[in-house]
Amino acid sequence: MLSKLMNLDRRLIFIFVALAVIIPTLLPLNLPINVSEPTQKIYDYIDALPAGSTIMIAFDYGPSSLPELNPMAKAVLRHCFDKGVRVIGMTLYPFAPTLADTLITEVAEEAGAVNGEDYVFLGFRPGGEQVMLRMGISIGSVFEKDYTNTPLTEISMMKDITNYGQIDLILDLASGSTTDLWITYVNVKYNQQIAAGVTGVIVSNMYPYLQTNQLVGLMPGYLGASEYEKLIGVPEKGTQGINNASPVHVLILGLVIIGNIVFFIQRRREG
Amino acid sequence: MLKTIQWIVVTLVLCISVSTVFSQGLTPPLNVTAVDTANDDGSSITIKWDAAAEDSGISGYQILRRIADGELETIGDLLPVGTTTYVDSAIEGGTAYTYVVRAVSATEATADSEQTAPVEGSGEWFHTEKTPLFIAMLLFSAAIVWNIYNARSGKEVFVRRIPGLEAVDEAIGRATEMGRSILYVLGLGGVSGVATVASMTILAQVARRTADYETPLRVPCNDPIVMNVVREMVKTAYLEEGHPDAYNEENIFFLTEDQFAYAAGVDGIMVREKPATVFLQGSFAAESLILAETGNSIGAIQIAGTDSEHQLPFFIAACDYTLIGEELYAASAYLSKEPMLLGSLRGQDWGKVLIFGAIALGVILELSGITWITTLLQRVN
Amino acid sequence: MKRQVPLVLCFLFGVVMCFTQFSPHSFSQSIYDEVVYWALIMSPFALAVGTITLVQTHVIRIRRRTEHWQYSFVVFAGLLTMVVIGLPFGPQHPAFAWLFNNVQVPLDATMFSLLAFLIASAAFRAFRARTFEASLLLISAMIVLIGNVPVGDLIWNTVLSWLPWDNGASEARQWILGNPNLSARRGIILGVSLGVISQAIRLILGIERSYIGGGD
Repeated sequence: MLSKLMNLDRRLIFIFVALAVIIPTLLPLNLPINVSEPTQKIYDYIDALPAGSTIMIAFDYGPSSLPELNPMAKAVLRHCFDKGVRVIGMTLYPFAPTLADTLITEVAEEAGAVNGEDYVFLGFRPGGEQVMLRMGISIGSVFEKDYTNTPLTEISMMKDITNYGQIDLILDLASGSTTDLWITYVNVKYNQQIAAGVTGVIVSNMYPYLQTNQLVGLMPGYLGASEYEKLIGVPEKGTQGINNASPVHVLILGLVIIGNIVFFIQRRREG
Repeated sequence: MLKTIQWIVVTLVLCISVSTVFSQGLTPPLNVTAVDTANDDGSSITIKWDAAAEDSGISGYQILRRIADGELETIGDLLPVGTTTYVDSAIEGGTAYTYVVRAVSATEATADSEQTAPVEGSGEWFHTEKTPLFIAMLLFSAAIVWNIYNARSGKEVFVRRIPGLEAVDEAIGRATEMGRSILYVLGLGGVSGVATVASMTILAQVARRTADYETPLRVPCNDPIVMNVVREMVKTAYLEEGHPDAYNEENIFFLTEDQFAYAAGVDGIMVREKPATVFLQGSFAAESLILAETGNSIGAIQIAGTDSEHQLPFFIAACDYTLIGEELYAASAYLSKEPMLLGSLRGQDWGKVLIFGAIALGVILELSGITWITTLLQRVN
Repeated sequence: MKRQVPLVLCFLFGVVMCFTQFSPHSFSQSIYDEVVYWALIMSPFALAVGTITLVQTHVIRIRRRTEHWQYSFVVFAGLLTMVVIGLPFGPQHPAFAWLFNNVQVPLDATMFSLLAFLIASAAFRAFRARTFEASLLLISAMIVLIGNVPVGDLIWNTVLSWLPWDNGASEARQWILGNPNLSARRGIILGVSLGVISQAIRLILGIERSYIGGGD
């Protein structure tokens, strides 16, 4: 019995996980959310920007991390449009343009923001760190046109923006290692303020940058999305996501505890 | 008579007060200097002036610029009253500029400073504020180079045992005995990633052994350029081991650049081909656990290694051996036993001692209230 | 010669790029800009090389009728569909967006969501308090895990309401991530950074040459 429990068929665990996700999706929970300091810092930074300031959002994630990072993007975009902060969207991820464009357009329509005046989406360019470095010299030399093929020179909000010098904050929404690159190449070289919203799996990787203030703030996965939604007062998919994720966390915790209890009993028996 | 004197005194006081009030906004900025901006590429000139007194009545400053004998032109927007520095970044090389700082009052009264001496922008060849960083780089590089060349003399270099690398031969041997293939996964990094290059150097060593044992080596790549480099590298390894005929180019192939499609592809290969040994070396992200758990489920012996420290827990949980961080970079030296490469490891350790010493010294000095080291490092940052 | 040229190029570019980091002069910065620009131009070529290699690999599979060769047709079907719609009409075209949102998004999300299942099974199998150190790690992991979701604070504020501070689970998680986790991570980062510099010096000096096939 004990050894059966110790070597529990992983398919059984998979079924438990599936149930722990499906049940709260069908019967939504409404857990209280407390805003953590790193998320609050991003909110405060953007909130303190005067109208007409510009932030750049890098949508460095693909469809796989969309459920975690899209709610963050949505909440920040809402906040920016509400405050009159202009947004430049771009991505270093080849699969992101469609999802990023759809999202920005959706939020902009809802907030009444005008393309080319309140926001612009530049699309994707391959090259990773080379794109970042080159934009420090001239954004127009990397993105001659925006996603809709309008030359940057014809976009009114880009008239007074040449490079990072005119951008108040870069928010990297990332599922990979792009935040490290933004910090290494853009924060260090151009002294640009960077904030990040990342998937839960890489959150702990960001803490060294928080401590050195190389990151203005950090939104950790679903939790960060739900916190930002709470701050702007619009609970949506981030809040729903973190509520759905809660039972799975409890399940994993339970499995670990059971595994250890069985392990101890077995070890004692074996002497 | 007294009345007349009183009248004169009152008038005088009034006159002085009124003139003071009006002249407050008109005090010209003092000690205005324009110099070439230090540590730049010669594309800017820095203008400085003294801060105005709080009751000066100045509400802002406007910078004016003159090229040679030309007219004074306004540059930039009106600067707030607290400003004492302005960097003019719109200059051309080889042109001399003179500047005037104009104080502007709330009533739009103005007072111009004296014109500065002509100044030209010129680029510096060395960034003086980066001197400590440059010295640190030189010291560290010198330590490594010294140890590399010292190692050439044949002095033995002790390297602690790294179980993950000790197991490489055993893992390859196991695959050979079982008559199954070896799967080598280089991660998601491009050819410019140092972790990918380190992984390729391990692959070169693995390829030499698989060439000897004639064990099939499969390398699914995430980056086409990496794939081409790897093909060339493995081919050379087989050639040098005297088994060029055992090299099969099709075993090194490009799957996809998409992270999870790549994970799905590699998982598929694992499940179908059931390799006896799986190497997961390089730069990994969220797909690390998907790969490692699948490898675990097929019973393969797994040796992982990454500098993506956030993925280390996943590898440690699911793999038999894991190279942690810098061990990945030490692998090439460890496996090849090449004295010069081993020497560089010792140089690395000297660097660690240096950093450790600096941390300890910094903590002691900070606790003793001596803060210049911290200030120096903050300046470098 | 075939090996000497890459080694010389590697040395030259390595030293020059290092020099440009310390020299703000317009000449050195223009070299830096130029190199960055070259690297940028190379990226689209890499995509082209990738596509060509992918086609080659699958053509060979079909020709040789290797195991599961039929699936290679699916690769070509997917590639052609996206190219036929994407190239003339651009990625904004509704058909392209539809395919992206209804094929690519669910496929990628499915793979990513596997993590939830795999983390659960790996945690159950590997998280054992075998030693004192392992026990410390285990306890930290459990706190971070439960502090990551609002249910952690809910449990804390309900079960441990007699304690003098609220939201202990998320506070404890924040402390673990910001202190012990950070210290360990810094140690690893320092080691990795030194390893990277050492590796770079070996590459620049041409001592590490296995990436071009090794040997002399």
